[in-house]
Amino acid sequence: MSRTTDSLCLDDYLSSELKKRTHILECAWNQEHDDEEEEEETREGGVVDGSDDASSTHDIYGDIGNRAPNEFEHIGRFTTFQVYIAWFALFLFAHIREYVTRFGFVKDLSNKENKSMKDFVPLFSDFEAFYQRNCYIKVRDVFERPICSVPGATVDLVDRVSHDGNWTYEYPGTRTNVINVGSYNYLGFAQSAGPCADQSAASIDREGLSCCTTVHERGRSVSQAKLEKLVAEFLGVDDAICFSMGFATNSMNAPCLVDKHSLIISDKYNHASLILGCRLSGASTKVFEHNDMESLERILRDAIAYGNPKTHRPYKKILIIVEGIYSMEGSICNLPGIIALKKKYNAYLYLDEAHSIGAMGKTGKGVVEYWGCDPKDVDILMGTFTKSFGAAGGYIAGSKRTVDHLRVASPTGYYSSPMSPPIAQQIYTSMSIIMGRDGTNDGALRIERLARNSHYFRMKLKQMGFIVYGSNDSPVVPMLIYFPTMCGFYGREMLARNIGCVVVSFPATHMTEGRVRFCISAAHTKEQLDYVLATVCELGSLSRSKFSRRSHLYKNLQIEW
Amino acid sequence: MLGYLPDSFHYYIETLLVGLLVYVVMRNRAKRQQEKLSKKLTERQKDELIAEWQPEPLVPETPQDHPVLNPKYADGKMTKEVSIDGQKYLNMASTNFLSFIGVKRIEERAKSTIFKYGVGSCGPRGFYGTVDVHLDLEKELAKFMGCEEAVLYSYGFATVSSAIPAYAKKGDVIFVDEGVNFAIQKGLQASRSRVEYFKHNDMEDLERLLLEQEQKDKKDLKKAKTVRRFIVVEGLYVNHADLCPLPKIIEFKWRFKVRVFIDESWSFGIIGKTGRGEKQLYLQKTNND
Repeated sequence: MSRTTDSLCLDDYLSSELKKRTHILECAWNQEHDDEEEEEETREGGVVDGSDDASSTHDIYGDIGNRAPNEFEHIGRFTTFQVYIAWFALFLFAHIREYVTRFGFVKDLSNKENKSMKDFVPLFSDFEAFYQRNCYIKVRDVFERPICSVPGATVDLVDRVSHDGNWTYEYPGTRTNVINVGSYNYLGFAQSAGPCADQSAASIDREGLSCCTTVHERGRSVSQAKLEKLVAEFLGVDDAICFSMGFATNSMNAPCLVDKHSLIISDKYNHASLILGCRLSGASTKVFEHNDMESLERILRDAIAYGNPKTHRPYKKILIIVEGIYSMEGSICNLPGIIALKKKYNAYLYLDEAHSIGAMGKTGKGVVEYWGCDPKDVDILMGTFTKSFGAAGGYIAGSKRTVDHLRVASPTGYYSSPMSPPIAQQIYTSMSIIMGRDGTNDGALRIERLARNSHYFRMKLKQMGFIVYGSNDSPVVPMLIYFPTMCGFYGREMLARNIGCVVVSFPATHMTEGRVRFCISAAHTKEQLDYVLATVCELGSLSRSKFSRRSHLYKNLQIEW
Repeated sequence: MLGYLPDSFHYYIETLLVGLLVYVVMRNRAKRQQEKLSKKLTERQKDELIAEWQPEPLVPETPQDHPVLNPKYADGKMTKEVSIDGQKYLNMASTNFLSFIGVKRIEERAKSTIFKYGVGSCGPRGFYGTVDVHLDLEKELAKFMGCEEAVLYSYGFATVSSAIPAYAKKGDVIFVDEGVNFAIQKGLQASRSRVEYFKHNDMEDLERLLLEQEQKDKKDLKKAKTVRRFIVVEGLYVNHADLCPLPKIIEFKWRFKVRVFIDESWSFGIIGKTGRGEKQLYLQKTNND
């Protein structure tokens, strides 16, 4: 959108970076793409419908063959060293505090077990409790902030004060309205009014609040069956199955697909639910470097050639598990590269689109559409409704054979209740809007707005000199602040300026990579984003957290909304 | 005897011995390396193996006449009566024990909640996903159960299977009734602790296992101080439809210093004079949503 001639050197630089990182992807993709272009040219020369094809390789993000690369700018060793010193200081003071408390100089406010339980083995290990007691508690006020309104573009936070160093909170009963750049409300469907809310409320009258039974007993409600059909149609695959919790969709279904004779190859930054699923399945697990196709190929080759080292037998099947958008890195997976590898080595692919479904692609169909891939090349398409659709639950879509197997074998079918009808209705309505079934172009507008907002916000941050991870098209915007102490600073100062954002540090990220994560929404207006950007810029100067050494590349860049 | 040999002689012998040692070590190492190399495949060999490899299909074929694939849908609400394909049936299948489905007062409140908060919270508990309603409910639950605190999960099935691994870690011991439900079994699997099953509702068997553990602990006192011990039972066993003998288990808890997990998915709200389940005595309760 904002690629001007000034940024030519930047493009060169970025594409060389991309090549370094995604060697195979580039080869596989460019080749295919070149072929396509040739075809187009020949067709355009002859027949009329060439224009239709030309527009299909172009969408709101630019050219499909020329996607923005994932960036991970590294900082110098000296800064990393400083971050370690910050941690060292933190732990040093924590230890001092621990001793002072133990000898009774400071009152110990932490939660204690009942006195009668003192002979029991303590519930928590030392380090865990130590970290909670002395480090996390210092910044507890920037996490778990309760809200009391719909989490839209703005949200009302319940005010709370603590008089004892964040151990307990008092609620004075007031509220603060803040700009919400923390919720996963990508398409802005978290609304308390409008067609979604109306229709889900109406479904309560029709079907009640719950089915009070499991899916296989009298449970699969009409609304869920209707929804499953729509999801399959939306994604362009044969069939889909829905579950009432996104986390359990991963953790309970991965074990139905692989067993101890199989191998799972999982990305380094995969979500906890996928890791739990791998663990529960009993399959061998290997981890490849984040989005690194060479690492993936090496592991694939070795796994097939050497087989299972424990049994010395070949693996029965190999499942590659990746995510569409990585929620902590903001990066987009190299789907064309992974599909090429998967085909070359006869492996299966499990794609978790928790963050990308609805939020990516010209018509919201996730990274598959974003990359212009065929959804049938992905064996298992998984996603959640918690994010873009403003509801709850998850789905798995794929060929009829796969979904039939899951319907029969998935433990959630036997033991858990189906989706609550109003939740199913919310997803149904929001998905219909995205597909344009409501007769308006509301859905298309939302997707375009989200793409514009994300691109604008990211470029502006980079121009200001912050290090931002991930692809320029991703609505998840992690801004690196490195220091654990900075988390508290950003969390509090942003709140003081009426912005609610998410700060993350160890153990959710690497120790030296604390970050602020912004989740951009289609509901944000340009003015709201500008206000957030101005605030971040101010705080960045105050805390000297503009670490990027590439800001000169963006200096003369005209960034349009 | 060696007196007349020159003084430096033992230097020669020592040098010789050291040289021999180095030779032996080097030879072994070279041998091992050679073995390693012979085990390693060349890229070409790998290519051949890759071309040979035929994976199994991802999922087996499912027979199309499986009842799960041909469900009958119930129209409308699942109250005491349910209509399937236009015909009315008496509903003895769903677990609507206290008949709260279709109560207008509850439904109206649910609707007004949608019009205030929307449907989804669009975030996890830590990041702006905690709504004030959650906090109120947690407080109310803790009061109802007479506990210090309570925590809510959004999915009944995931509650117990994530609560168990939250406390029980690798190296801990869990004593479990044989008849526990699937969700608990998944939780046990995820915890990676040592799991000891006792016969369903057989307190003597449980006592035997606990005594065995006590013997083990006496042998290794240092280790015993770090190994957490848990008993996991269900209030009302869904697979057996009987209650667990809770007083006896609580007695064991104090006698053997074992923590107790009780899953009251089926007994909560149903058993007991005021629906508080079997008298709960421990900080961790798992309630179905």
